[in-house]
Amino acid sequence: MKLSIKWLKEILPKMPATASLCNKLTSIGLEVASIKKISSDTIIDLEITPNRADCLSVYGISRDLSAAYKTKKLMPKTDKTKIDISKNIIKSINKTISPHYTCLQIDQIDNKVKTPKIIKDRLKACGIKPVNLIVDILNYVMIEIGQPFHAFDKDQLNGKLNVRFSKKNETINGLNDKKYNLEKGIPVISDQKKIHAIAGVIGSKESSITHLSKNIIIECAYFSPSLIRTSSKTYRLQTDSSYRFERGVNPISHEESLRRVIYLLKKFTKFKKIYLSKFPNNKLKQFKGKIIKTDILQFERILGKKINFNNVVNIFKNLEFGVKVSRNKLIIKSPPHRFDIENEYDLIEEFARIIGYEEFPPKELPPVYDKKKINNKDYSLNKITTTLVSKGYHEIKSYSFLPKSYQENFTSKNSIVRISNPISEDKAELRTSLIPSLVRTYKYNANRQCGDLKIFEVGNIYEKINKKLTSEHNHVAGLIAGKKSTLSLKTDSSNYTFFDLKGDLVSILPNLEFEASSKHKFLGDQAAIHQNKKCVGYCGIIAERLIGAESIDEPAFAFEILLSALNFPRNTTYKEISPFPKVKRDLTVLIDDKISGKAIIDIIGKQSYKYLINIKINDVFHDDDNWGKNKKSISIEFQFQKKKSTLLDSEVNDVMDKVINLLQVKFNAQLRTI
Amino acid sequence: MKKKFSSLITQLKDELEKCDSLNGLIQLKSNYLGKKGLITLEFNQIKELSGEEKKLIGKELNAIKLEANELINKKDLLIKNLTSKKGKKYFFDVTLPGKNIEIGSRHPITITIELIEEILSSFGFMSVTGPEIESEFFNFEALNIPKNHPARDLHDTFYINEERLLRTHTSSVQIHTMLKTKPPVRIMTPGKVYRCDSDPTHSPMFHQVEGLYVDKDINFCHLRGLLTNFLRKFFDDKKIQIRFRPSYFPFTEPSAEIDIQFKGKWLEVLGCGMVHPNVLKNVKIDPKNYSGFAFGLGVERLAMLKFGISDLKVFFDNDLMFLSQFSNLK
Repeated sequence: MKLSIKWLKEILPKMPATASLCNKLTSIGLEVASIKKISSDTIIDLEITPNRADCLSVYGISRDLSAAYKTKKLMPKTDKTKIDISKNIIKSINKTISPHYTCLQIDQIDNKVKTPKIIKDRLKACGIKPVNLIVDILNYVMIEIGQPFHAFDKDQLNGKLNVRFSKKNETINGLNDKKYNLEKGIPVISDQKKIHAIAGVIGSKESSITHLSKNIIIECAYFSPSLIRTSSKTYRLQTDSSYRFERGVNPISHEESLRRVIYLLKKFTKFKKIYLSKFPNNKLKQFKGKIIKTDILQFERILGKKINFNNVVNIFKNLEFGVKVSRNKLIIKSPPHRFDIENEYDLIEEFARIIGYEEFPPKELPPVYDKKKINNKDYSLNKITTTLVSKGYHEIKSYSFLPKSYQENFTSKNSIVRISNPISEDKAELRTSLIPSLVRTYKYNANRQCGDLKIFEVGNIYEKINKKLTSEHNHVAGLIAGKKSTLSLKTDSSNYTFFDLKGDLVSILPNLEFEASSKHKFLGDQAAIHQNKKCVGYCGIIAERLIGAESIDEPAFAFEILLSALNFPRNTTYKEISPFPKVKRDLTVLIDDKISGKAIIDIIGKQSYKYLINIKINDVFHDDDNWGKNKKSISIEFQFQKKKSTLLDSEVNDVMDKVINLLQVKFNAQLRTI
Repeated sequence: MKKKFSSLITQLKDELEKCDSLNGLIQLKSNYLGKKGLITLEFNQIKELSGEEKKLIGKELNAIKLEANELINKKDLLIKNLTSKKGKKYFFDVTLPGKNIEIGSRHPITITIELIEEILSSFGFMSVTGPEIESEFFNFEALNIPKNHPARDLHDTFYINEERLLRTHTSSVQIHTMLKTKPPVRIMTPGKVYRCDSDPTHSPMFHQVEGLYVDKDINFCHLRGLLTNFLRKFFDDKKIQIRFRPSYFPFTEPSAEIDIQFKGKWLEVLGCGMVHPNVLKNVKIDPKNYSGFAFGLGVERLAMLKFGISDLKVFFDNDLMFLSQFSNLK
């Protein structure tokens, strides 16, 4: 809402300098967004919150300021002459649409007169384009008092007006030169033949006021806010009128507003005769205002400060509320223009904002006395992210959205959650995996010469369960690509492999096991990650199709883990450490390529050999020329230790012989000597 | 004679002092103890001396030889300790990079959320999370935003279907919590939120941490106290200028927005207020016995102010040049 300071001073002559006035406006809840000086005036732009429709006018703002400054306001001048009633203006009014609807008919008006400069200037400063005298004066009074009007050229109407809902297949040619095919049930104003306005939103081209209009009808109404809002939303039309009507316009100021219009018309042009459709009724039941009983103790309970009773009474009187005092109780009646006042909390806010929030001293919170309710945050996520970061991963945050149809090639169509009103095709569905986001981030950076990276993200994935239900799961996923460790001296500048990724995972999470899989659709060659016999996620090389979709050149490796499935042990049992020396032995065998490392470790482990405390695979390599493609060399390291004495060489040799024998029998392994 | 010998030792000591390489030391050793070395020459000379004198000087000379050997061996050890195995001592350049450096980073949004959580938990707030896909009830109706309310304009909403939507704020988590727990409720709710809005100052997805404290006798001065302290701690500035001004949210009454003075301008940083009695009634808490406050923090906005970021988009581009700037933060 743009406010002219000069216009404001016509109602409140004793206002301080602009800077101080602006601070006051902000402190009472009418935030000043900007201040602009123009030739002869200062225009300030106010952010009016949606609950304060009563402040969408110069008069409305003056009302709040008069309470804040405790000063009197001057009323805009109005015409006082007696007006006749004419039954020939309105035929019927649907009370659901407009419980209060008044029309003013003006005969033989001269609309060729130019609009005075001051009115034009003020309208322009408020962002309204001047059109002709009648339209300009109606807009002027709307900005001044807050009542929107609409005027019809009576000579273009066929008979009396109806306020009704639209029927099937009705249309209107709007003032904005657009034709609207109306749905059934939209509030409209029509004559006996056609529609002349979408009530409260826009008028028709045919009956609009021009310089040549002679006989006119001015509509002054209160429309149901929710109906106006529906029309405005349906046809994507927000006008100065609809903006005010949908927030609520003072329902009992029709006479005053129309008399202000008459005053200005009389001042600037000539007309013959005026009629009212009826005498405006200012005592409509539904607009009597709310009566709220309260007491100062409630104010003090919510605001936390001792409050002066008389101060409260004065503030409400200045805001045009009705105030009655009985003993220590207050009975407060809200004025009809304050649709936002419903209960005593609203009154408490009125009081607090007028005296200013800075008047309430900051106070410490009471201590936490309920020990059960102290933070029970799960820190295992923190442990995971901290370890990832120390392993060189950068955390990313990406949108939960993916482009339309992006995931169709990877996952079942029925499980994708789609947005019914997406902001763009690029953000049309919710992700079912974090891996596409990681790949897209990888590509973004690779395009900027940063293709050697380790990244991870923590976030939800979304799945449709059925037509109505969806599910969300918190995942952590990571991706590595390119060369290792580009920051340091060239110790190892080879490319990352699957085993670098696996190594990172094993360093982060306890008790992992890996099993070949093909379930994760965004991964190609991959392993299912198991913890305590439960699948917690997947890791592997990015699927060809995804690489194709994102046109990535280098291979990349990724993992994705369901956080809620993970388990960090809370406890462990200490095992006594033997003081006797450990003995280490290495064994290298030639073995069938298809025998997995795990199979070898498992079969040795199962034998429970004496003194063997640790086995691990040290090295694997192929030599096609010497052994052919079906063989590999595998080196295994063994550790032995006795609990109560030093191991003898013969004891170790004994076990090693058994191991060699076992591998020969089970896997046809050949011993290699290096 | 004695004097001559002791000056030999002094001379050796001087030369050892100057010697800093193994090669030099080997040369030095041969200069004194080699076939034509100074000490060896002395031995040759006493051969010509007679009985007693030969015995006496020979004894002295042996002692000198022993001492010289000892000194040279000591120096040998010293040099070997200082130089590499190759025998040459190189410049020990401590400024060269370490090996296998891997520096990762947490996203500034995560860092900001954790800082907010750290501060609020010091005031007794417990972190709670909830679903991002919500029903109209939890996102709007329970929070006193009925259908067709103009306030819904402030929340351009992404819909999944007629009943489900992407939450527009994490206030929905407050409703879930209050339906499950009796007061006192003292929680913070971090998470992603969504609005159908995209321009340089709005992102269709962003992060919030909202706070809620409901108990007996919680009032507006408590709200002022908590948020004043919070902002001082968050910006690590005890003198930060803060302004509370009246505003409007359907779920709080009275409502306020807080601005901070930043580079000569007032900048809005958060919204807050006393919980609206209708919200309390919706979760079966009697507003006559209980009161409380709620507030909502925009994580990106706070992060932008804290780290001097001017473009909202960079948070979600995830450029490594951006991310790596946050490597060493707590």
